[in-house]
Amino acid sequence: MLRVAVVLSDLLQRAGLAALLERYFAPVEVECFAAVDDALREERAFDLYFTDSAAFVTEVDFFLTHRARCVILAPQESGGGGCEAPYVVSTRGTLEEVVEQIGRLWRDDRSEDEKSSTDLSGREVEVLRLVVSGAINKEIADRLHISLNTVLTHRKNITAKLGIKTVPGLTLYALMHGYISADDMPL
Amino acid sequence: MALLTSDTPLSSALEQHPSLIPLVNRFGIRLGLGDRTLAAVCDEHRLDPEFMLLLMNTYLFDEYFPEQRLKSFHVSRIVDYLSKTNAYYLHYQLPNIERHLARLIAGGGENSQLALLGRFFERFKESLIAAIDYDAEVWFPYCAALSAGTVPQGSVPRPCPAPQTAADEEEDPTVGLLRDLRSIMVRHLSGEYDDNLAYAVIFAIGSIERDIRQHNRIRDRILTPLIDALCCA
Repeated sequence: MLRVAVVLSDLLQRAGLAALLERYFAPVEVECFAAVDDALREERAFDLYFTDSAAFVTEVDFFLTHRARCVILAPQESGGGGCEAPYVVSTRGTLEEVVEQIGRLWRDDRSEDEKSSTDLSGREVEVLRLVVSGAINKEIADRLHISLNTVLTHRKNITAKLGIKTVPGLTLYALMHGYISADDMPL
Repeated sequence: MALLTSDTPLSSALEQHPSLIPLVNRFGIRLGLGDRTLAAVCDEHRLDPEFMLLLMNTYLFDEYFPEQRLKSFHVSRIVDYLSKTNAYYLHYQLPNIERHLARLIAGGGENSQLALLGRFFERFKESLIAAIDYDAEVWFPYCAALSAGTVPQGSVPRPCPAPQTAADEEEDPTVGLLRDLRSIMVRHLSGEYDDNLAYAVIFAIGSIERDIRQHNRIRDRILTPLIDALCCA
């Protein structure tokens, strides 16, 4: 799921854009900020930052550094390009046109994980088996001779591919697909 | 979609938003409402229309959460509402899912995946009942006693509002289990099964999942801060 920061000084503009994103691009996590400083206090970075030209100019250092993830809302007509960062979305047209412009960059920004197959790799199945057996990340790393970070990456990929977050949920999936037997792991 | 007001006919609100029916049911309001307004129905049931209105709008709009107005109500009223929602889960929503799930499993013949879904649901049910028991036996009585001034401050350790939630978990574990169950059915279910019953189970799961999220908003953002404030007073 994409995580989006809406950085606009106007409350109604923030609320309007957040409502539009949630309505047409769900699932999405939208957080609204009146200023860049507030967004920077967030521990995790955002996948996209929506802002306007006034805020962009005020915080040009930040937005230029993050230009690949920056979307500027501009009241003028769309130039037709919009493929180069920072992206510009014209807010002058109809709702349909605005949604279409955002939709284009949305598709570009979807992570490879989301686009990839939901089949687990052999290594991910090994990690899954250990997770549902109750092994903690350190034990999984030791057993498979991989680093802790690699374990975390595998777990993140498993969750993204399967859409399952909890260990009981993963256990159910593993049982349904025969990765473990009910005798080994009573649900 | 507009916010409801106290002169909205309750029947219009429920026709437009059937998801509110379980909410009003738990206050003893039943169907057959005619064209009486929300205020009139509340009056008949001796309910505070303002409190009811806030609950309904909060339930309906994810982005609408009148924190300060909700905090202005007495703790006992918040506890009463949360107790009613817990009772509703136990007596209506859980049995409803169980009924549909049992029929889905019974009609699935040799499909062993369905029995696994049933076992997973049992696990969820146990965790939800444990949380409800804790509320009824520990947390709510403590909140009520503290707000009534019958617990000398600092004389007993303050119980935790939700002992089953680890500090580093962002999500209520019961909601996590429900979301996973729904996701597993939608994404990974295979073999023979009755489509309509599967839909009924998924619909019922989605309904209680949404309800628990709303319940948790009021518990975590209204009741717990009110109790924290009383503890520090």
